[in-house]
Amino acid sequence: MEGHVAGNLGAAALVLLLAFAAWRVRGSRRGRERFGEIVRRRPWASAVVALYLGVALLDSFAWIDAAAPGTVAAPRSLLDRVFPADFGERSYSAPLADAEFYGGEPLAHPGRHLLGTDILGRDVLHLALGGARVALLIGGVTSLLAIPLAIAFGVAAGYFGRRVDDVVFFVLSTLASIPSLLLLVALVMVLGRGTLQVCVALAITSWVGFCRVVRGETMKLRELDYVQAARALGVSDARILARHVVPNLGHLVVITFVLTFSQLVLSEAILSWLGVGIDGSWGQMIDQARDELARDPVIGWNLGAASAALFGLILAVNRLGDAVRDVLDPRTLRERAG
Amino acid sequence: MLAYLLRRLAWGAVTVVGVLLFLFWLFFLYADPQDVARRALGEKAPPEAVAQWLANHGYDKPAVWNPAAPLDTRLADHLRRMLTFDFGKSDADDTPIAARLADGIGPTLSVTVPLLLLGLPLAVSLALLVAFFRETYIDRAGVVLSVLAMSVSILIYILGGQFLLGKVLRWFPISGFDPDPGVVLRFLALPVLVGLVSHLGSDVRFYRAVFLEESNRDYVRTARAKGASDARVMARHVLPNALIPVLTNVSLAIPFLFTGSLLLESFFGIPGLGSITVEAIHANDFATLRVMVYLGALLFVAAQVLTDVAYTLVDPRVRLG
Amino acid sequence: MKRIAAALALAFAAACGNDPYPASDAASRVLYVPYAEAPKTLDPQVAYSVYDHEVIANLYETALEYHYLKRPFELIPALVEAVPEPQPRADGRIAYRFALRRGVRFAADPCFGLGTPGATQREVVAADWAFALQRIADPKVGSPVGATFAKIVGFSAFAERLAQLREREPGFAALRIDAQYARAGPVEGIATPDPWTLEIVLGEPYPQILYWFAMPFTSPVAWEAVAAYDGEAGRPRFAERAVGTGPYRIAEYAKRRRIALERNPTWWGVEHAGAGAPAAVYPIEGEPGDAEAGLLPDGVAGGPLPFLDRIEMRYEKELIPSFTKFAQGWYDRSKIPKESFDQAARGGTLSPEMQARGMRLDRTVMPGVYYVGFNMGDPVVGHAAGERGRKLRQAMSLAIDAPEFLRVFLNGRGIPAQSPVPPGLFGYDEHYRNPYRQVDLARARRLLAEAGYADGVDPATGRALRLTFDTGDPSVQARLRYEFLVAAWRRLGIDVEVAATSYNQFQEKVRRGAYQVFFWGWIADYPDPENFHFLLWSEMSQTRSGGPNSANFSDPRFDALFLDTRARANDAARLAGIRRMRALLEEERPWIEMFHPEDYSLSHAWLRLAKPSGMTMPVHKYWTVDPAARAAARAAWNQPVRWPAYALGALVVALLVPGVVTYLRERQ
Repeated sequence: MEGHVAGNLGAAALVLLLAFAAWRVRGSRRGRERFGEIVRRRPWASAVVALYLGVALLDSFAWIDAAAPGTVAAPRSLLDRVFPADFGERSYSAPLADAEFYGGEPLAHPGRHLLGTDILGRDVLHLALGGARVALLIGGVTSLLAIPLAIAFGVAAGYFGRRVDDVVFFVLSTLASIPSLLLLVALVMVLGRGTLQVCVALAITSWVGFCRVVRGETMKLRELDYVQAARALGVSDARILARHVVPNLGHLVVITFVLTFSQLVLSEAILSWLGVGIDGSWGQMIDQARDELARDPVIGWNLGAASAALFGLILAVNRLGDAVRDVLDPRTLRERAG
Repeated sequence: MLAYLLRRLAWGAVTVVGVLLFLFWLFFLYADPQDVARRALGEKAPPEAVAQWLANHGYDKPAVWNPAAPLDTRLADHLRRMLTFDFGKSDADDTPIAARLADGIGPTLSVTVPLLLLGLPLAVSLALLVAFFRETYIDRAGVVLSVLAMSVSILIYILGGQFLLGKVLRWFPISGFDPDPGVVLRFLALPVLVGLVSHLGSDVRFYRAVFLEESNRDYVRTARAKGASDARVMARHVLPNALIPVLTNVSLAIPFLFTGSLLLESFFGIPGLGSITVEAIHANDFATLRVMVYLGALLFVAAQVLTDVAYTLVDPRVRLG
Repeated sequence: MKRIAAALALAFAAACGNDPYPASDAASRVLYVPYAEAPKTLDPQVAYSVYDHEVIANLYETALEYHYLKRPFELIPALVEAVPEPQPRADGRIAYRFALRRGVRFAADPCFGLGTPGATQREVVAADWAFALQRIADPKVGSPVGATFAKIVGFSAFAERLAQLREREPGFAALRIDAQYARAGPVEGIATPDPWTLEIVLGEPYPQILYWFAMPFTSPVAWEAVAAYDGEAGRPRFAERAVGTGPYRIAEYAKRRRIALERNPTWWGVEHAGAGAPAAVYPIEGEPGDAEAGLLPDGVAGGPLPFLDRIEMRYEKELIPSFTKFAQGWYDRSKIPKESFDQAARGGTLSPEMQARGMRLDRTVMPGVYYVGFNMGDPVVGHAAGERGRKLRQAMSLAIDAPEFLRVFLNGRGIPAQSPVPPGLFGYDEHYRNPYRQVDLARARRLLAEAGYADGVDPATGRALRLTFDTGDPSVQARLRYEFLVAAWRRLGIDVEVAATSYNQFQEKVRRGAYQVFFWGWIADYPDPENFHFLLWSEMSQTRSGGPNSANFSDPRFDALFLDTRARANDAARLAGIRRMRALLEEERPWIEMFHPEDYSLSHAWLRLAKPSGMTMPVHKYWTVDPAARAAARAAWNQPVRWPAYALGALVVALLVPGVVTYLRERQ
């Protein structure tokens, strides 16, 4: 399957998931209240996160135009289509400049590159916006891998206890005892480079946190009166899990997801610096641009744009994360946010 | 008490064995030794050289089961090496790993120890300050600043620190290391400073939450109702009782003391364990990498066991299951 | 409390300032240079990287060296009395007789106690040269140049005997190394008739062999050192412990931090300088322009080497710190990272700011070539595609703009290549323009249509012709370069996909021959065109022999010309042969020649007599520095900017005071 087709399908699935979540939230009074409360508490952070999400989705739907004879058409996303097709220069140009940074030759699009261009003459704003999709990809694919597994193992361990719990707890404490960056690096080194490999490695490291939270909460839920009553009445385990346990984990998973998300994106930046990151991420932009600080005059717009885009998302998610935690679960999760 | 101690130790040992098995799966079963050899020897290595290299490193042995000699397997070698701390040779250039670690531990500790000794009091006192002024603009500003600070990637802190303090302001050497007592401090100043700032945000936020939670407890309220001053309550009641979570947080940093910070050491050219790890990554040196992972995990487990035991000794209320 | 405050103040004072060196050096001549990669090995028979040779060239010496100033490169005798002449023999073999210089000693080292108890030093004799060559043959040593020396008669047979003895005879591998070599018997083509004569016999003409005697591979090595430093029981490995004859010896070898070299007090040159031995004295003459460049000042020519007392090398992996420290005067010389190039030099000259600081720019074209290669074993782009494949390659070659590539990625640091042979070598023609190396998209499209790929459409699929560009370097920086090439081919309608895999996956593809287009570079071992043409010799093809002919180019016409030209003297016939090879490559296009790299270095004014070379050769012994000028410049350039510290302190106070005031007021 072509890369962009898979991307389109993934993005469509994500949109459906978001629509489903929105429908569920709207459907219940409590959901509406809580959602409203979060947005009321963090209007700016919510808006920023929504903006990043929008840009990422725009960049996720791509298709190939019929190629003119003698040219090769590449898939272009909705985001790419916001920019002119030939929106490039030959090399560096400063933000809004009319001429090339070195040599001073006139630009093809004078004054139109808001954040300048990079060494290959690509528009830095375009590149920085493109990073949003990669960040979403990192958070999304990783969570998609980690959360279902974490729920399966965490619930099993917490609900059935005994041997199952022993095994899961053993695996948990084994993985948790390896310093996370080292674990991540070791995994990526052995699994190989590539988007999926990095996400798998991130999923394994973040699975521990998810699973631990799920396991703990399940243990509490199991002791609740109505669950005990259901068990005494002989309701099957599968039914209890589906009815009473899993639905009550939702808010914890949401909180953990939001709190983990910024860690994932920051970790990818470090992996990028180690040369094993994901193509097009802000981490790679930073890695690529850092040597530009040795130039004189310094070329800062590349590094600045990537750092600011990364910082903006992480800050918004961190701020939002606090509110999500306070609103959804004021009591159980007071541990360190990240 | 003794039973608990033994149980805790046994669990720690089980965890370490788990880590060893995980590493064995990752580096010996999942990774193909042929690939490792090719990467170490380069493209032009003839098959005989690869075979020779595999034999030199013991990678040609059966993985788990050797009917002829049950102890002559890669698994047995791996366990024996790790448990006896006889780590063997690097995959990249055949230097003994243990000797390199011995060279690296000094530079690493000279960065991480000041980082811990300066970082803990700094973060705790800032958090106390913020918690002391709770509900005022200092508190709100403190929280926002903490979140701001923790949202910046460490890469940016490092690049910014080098560029600003090293290149533009010329306060410190931009990088490097020399154990000579006359200059070692000026090499350490910048990495320690950058390390401090990069951790400060999340630490202050965490300690602030701890202190606030503690100061909402009944006995603190009672003390306050009796007319004790805020400062006195903070110093006499809140701080001592908040020490356990603070120390737990510190114990989490113990392995980092020894394994060092990959990024700080590598960017600042400090030839410590972090740099060794980064070099191992760039050189595809799996042997060194797995030793570092193992040591990190071992120290983590040891620190956990020690803290747990320390709690039961200090605070009999801590009961363990 | 007072004591703590005093200690803190002291610590603060020690921590301030950016001087990275502990000791003052105003009195002695010390060279400070950075190195970006720690040497992998100091074993002269094994070391093959620039980083290894930077250090080794000061510690070990060779029979011949290149003249420090003259270009094109000229061999001079170093550890021998004269450059030997080939002596053809009746049986077609060629002999070289080296008359070894007397009084050359290995640097003092306790290992010599192995031979003579209590000894710490020993003179170099012919057997040490033979021992070094035997080590190249020894498969356990892992020398990368064994194949080249297999031209010595009996060389491979010795290697086989050694391997067999090790395998078959129990206990043989545990013998001391000199005993092992003695048991395996001498190499037939290496003779030591007396301790001061070394004779090498080649089975076939190979005049280039002399160049190999100017490279560290052939440096004499003491068996005592190899035997003593085996890496067992806490002893260092020979790869980490140098026992050579060079003008310098190791003072400290902490290779991930600092490598310090000091004068070798027993260097042979000290005694031989009086007699004017080349390689022991500074040259009296150079090439035109050297005198104007300050390379032949009065009182230096003919003077005894070395000039520097100490060489301090510091490990600098990251580029920004390395170049910043150079700019601050802490290093005397620096390769210019391409990132800093615009600051340093625009259009090949220094910026006024740097000129004002007295810096100097040295440029030199490296004897190397970078190229895009086609895998000629591939059915679409290779030999099998016949005329179609040739036209496809020609079209793709016409689309690549090498000068633009240089401009974008290397700031123009390099010369667009027209053929494999770089400037400065016999056979290079600066007026030659390869017709397929000038951008001509119209012609490229015509050729493509003639090849059956009109508008880049592959008739088999009805879609754009799909090729893969294979690389084992997944880094972002490399990726950018490949995207440049891919974009050029897209203009022809060809869809080239960059397959960036991990290095080992790439190697696997290369081994299986499953690659189409790739980017590669070659830096010469020695200044002779043969070292470039053999990259296209069918015997060296990757799939056939694992050789460096990664394009798997295999053309009997080319092979015949190669074999004819390779062993000739530089005469008209050789030139004609080289021209014919060039014409053949021009048409066949196994390579798209990209550029010959250019090396730019910056030096400070206080570094003198440093001429850029581009070849692996000992240079530091010719350099010198002016410590007083350096000390003055460093002091002037490194005044810290203090006001931000005061501003920051004021800001903190300003933030806190209102809070405290509010708090106190509320309390009242």
